[in-house]
Amino acid sequence: MSLHSRILRLMAGAVAAMATMFFAPASQAQQRPLVWGDTLPATLDPHAIFDVPSQFVLLNAYDGLYRYQGNPPQLIPWLAESHSTSADGLTWDFTLRAGIKFQDGSDMTAEDVVYSFRRLLGMNRAPAAAFSPVLRPENVTATGPRTIRFVLSRPYAPFLAAIPLVAIVNPRVIAPNVANNDWGAAWLAANTAGSGAYRIDPANYQTRVSMDLARFPGHFMGWSHLERPIDTVRARPVLETSTRVLALLRGEIDATDSYLPTDQVERVERNARTRVARDESMRVFILRMNNMKAPFDNRDARLCFAHAFNYQGFNEIILKGLVVRNGGPNPNNLWGNPPDLQGYNFNLDQAKQYCDRARAAGAPIGREIEIHVQSELEQTVQAAQMFQADLRKIGINLRIVTNTWAGITAATTQAQTTPDMWVHWVSTYFVDPENWIGQMYDSQFHGTWKASAWYKNDQVDELLRRARSSLDQAERDRLYQQATRLVVADSPDIWVYNTLNLRGLSRRVQGYNFSPVGSGGELRLMSLSN
Amino acid sequence: MARYVIRRLLMALPALFGLIILTFVLSRVIPGDPAATLAGDAATPAMIAEIRAQYGLDRPIIEQAFIHVRQVLTGDFGKSIFSGRPVAEEVIQRLPATLELTFAALFIAVLLGVPLGLLAAINHNGPIDHLVRLLSVGGLALASFWLAIMLQLLFAMELDLLPLRGRVDVALGLPPRVTGFVLLDSLIAGRMDLFVNGIQHLILPAITLSLPGLATIARFTRSGVLEVLQKDFVLYAKAVGYGRFRLATIYVLRNAVTLVVTQIGLLFGALISGAVAVEAIFDWPGLGTYSVQAIISADYKALLAVTLVVGFVYAAVNVLVDVAQAVIDPRVAEDVA
Repeated sequence: MSLHSRILRLMAGAVAAMATMFFAPASQAQQRPLVWGDTLPATLDPHAIFDVPSQFVLLNAYDGLYRYQGNPPQLIPWLAESHSTSADGLTWDFTLRAGIKFQDGSDMTAEDVVYSFRRLLGMNRAPAAAFSPVLRPENVTATGPRTIRFVLSRPYAPFLAAIPLVAIVNPRVIAPNVANNDWGAAWLAANTAGSGAYRIDPANYQTRVSMDLARFPGHFMGWSHLERPIDTVRARPVLETSTRVLALLRGEIDATDSYLPTDQVERVERNARTRVARDESMRVFILRMNNMKAPFDNRDARLCFAHAFNYQGFNEIILKGLVVRNGGPNPNNLWGNPPDLQGYNFNLDQAKQYCDRARAAGAPIGREIEIHVQSELEQTVQAAQMFQADLRKIGINLRIVTNTWAGITAATTQAQTTPDMWVHWVSTYFVDPENWIGQMYDSQFHGTWKASAWYKNDQVDELLRRARSSLDQAERDRLYQQATRLVVADSPDIWVYNTLNLRGLSRRVQGYNFSPVGSGGELRLMSLSN
Repeated sequence: MARYVIRRLLMALPALFGLIILTFVLSRVIPGDPAATLAGDAATPAMIAEIRAQYGLDRPIIEQAFIHVRQVLTGDFGKSIFSGRPVAEEVIQRLPATLELTFAALFIAVLLGVPLGLLAAINHNGPIDHLVRLLSVGGLALASFWLAIMLQLLFAMELDLLPLRGRVDVALGLPPRVTGFVLLDSLIAGRMDLFVNGIQHLILPAITLSLPGLATIARFTRSGVLEVLQKDFVLYAKAVGYGRFRLATIYVLRNAVTLVVTQIGLLFGALISGAVAVEAIFDWPGLGTYSVQAIISADYKALLAVTLVVGFVYAAVNVLVDVAQAVIDPRVAEDVA
């Protein structure tokens, strides 16, 4: 036997042995728990961070006094059975339902709610932002075993709308794990202390890699609404979009995130065992302009840019019509929007006229304009590329700068460092125009990423402040409509679309119920068909 | 030999200290404000400033550097400013996954690269040699993310032979953690089903990661063997009538292997850095995916720890390679002495 054939035979033998041993159909059907493929938050502590992934933990492992459900989202009493407000809007009383148990079996009392709010305000992290300007820790008190009183320092109408942000935690579980007055934050980052419908298994938890949940049979809302609730859930986020889609098609996960790329929708729908849930959300796609930097300190220059974006081309062709045109800062499907509000149209001739006018007024239209995109979010890049091509036709040089969310938001703390333009979405943190127009265009929020247009209009500020403090819903609606008209007329930003959330789902998942708050991740409503 | 080993260890120390300083500088020039990221989407400037003070990010950079060196030397990598958990814990949790993948890739690269290089050399300028050279160039030129997706499409989606992602099937779950290496822990737990499942999950990412290394090893083996084939002792061995197989494997390969061992040390570093893309695509929960998340969220503490740990591992592997070389060829140690 020749030398070559001996070496080749040895290699072939090794490969064949490995193949016999290890290559077997890998997707043999077996009863699986629900495998959730959406992103996990960086920490399990519901008072430490507030972003879209953290809502999954908040909705499933914890409960709040009120909760948003459905689409458009309805605010429904959850841990609380009712609430009342004083005439001046300063005192809010909530009554807890009777018989609520935490996952450790202990009873939930009004003192636990007080502890939770004081912990939130004491830690002073993101979820506290909605409350800290109007609520001091000592002004949250238990007035009875099941009644809690909040006394605000000034009337704040979105208070109730923001209440679902706050998870009620179990102080008896946290107390032994407090170190260096940290409110137990280091411990709670990888553990839970809630009353939610699902219990997280800390032993198998790995930050942003895996989280196992088991149904909590003693959940206060009960399980009679489902014949076969899901007992076990394994959250396994898939980092790469292509792998995430393949994993769904192959049956390795049962749900993708809710930002399925539009070019994958058809593919997922073609597969016999998968589908795409399409739901109009409340997540507005925006191209920001820094109104304190020339040329965007000139209204005509801003209008020039607003008319140079090809809304229809982007929404209908690039995103295949899977979004809804949104001409203003608030999502279309929210109250507080003028019913006849028209967004700007793509018209390069008109854009050029505005640019000429701005140039005549001394605006440096000819300078290179930077637009920062988020490298990991392809749509931000696509929007910038399309805009760049159209602006070039009217002699404007747009330079695309690749950045990250962390990089951009860090720069938006000052007007000088905020990019000329940047691209992002504003998601639903609470369902009130305050979440969008209120925090984006009231100049008191300058220095936050939401207000990074650095827009300043005293009349708008006044309207938004009145809307924030009024308890008359009709008046609030009118004030927000007025403010919206003024803001749109000033064109501080370019509002493109309201998101249609696209989540790839296995067909065995039943009862998926989308709400813009939580993006349909409420497991308690779901069941499996096999 | 002991003096040689000690000398090698001492030589690694300045490099490691330089690494500590370099990583600190690099971590501070990456864009992004970790305090803003940690504060979250709805944070106010006051909250961000408070966090910056809490983590010492508002102190002078030199002071931060001194604190950093002191902490690293005492084994304290601090807390991830994103997850709030000790970085050391997170890195230790993730390191075995990366090492397991890297070792598997290295194993494949050596297992296939050495025989291919040998075959190419003894068929110098023949069809097999051309084929191996073509494969080597291809192996180095192919983008790992492209290859990964192609392998996924073929072996997982079309042929349904291998899993698409992860370390084990979700339904099986990981074995009880002893070493963090799924294969070892499966054996320790007596779970052959998990062991086989773990191998199945390892095959595609390991092949993807191994390809550039395989190509490099094949090329170095080929050139090493070609060089040895010109030596007088090979001519003598041929003259006394040794068979080609014995000649090639016992005499030639053994003398060419020193070069290959050196390459393994260098390759190890390349494989760990290559693991970033491979881990992301195969959803492999190692240091690669951890680094990507740390970069996106500007978690500089996590980045520092990953870079340092990888640097330490790389240095350790290189010391081991140097020692292995000295064992294979004692002249190496004598030359240094």
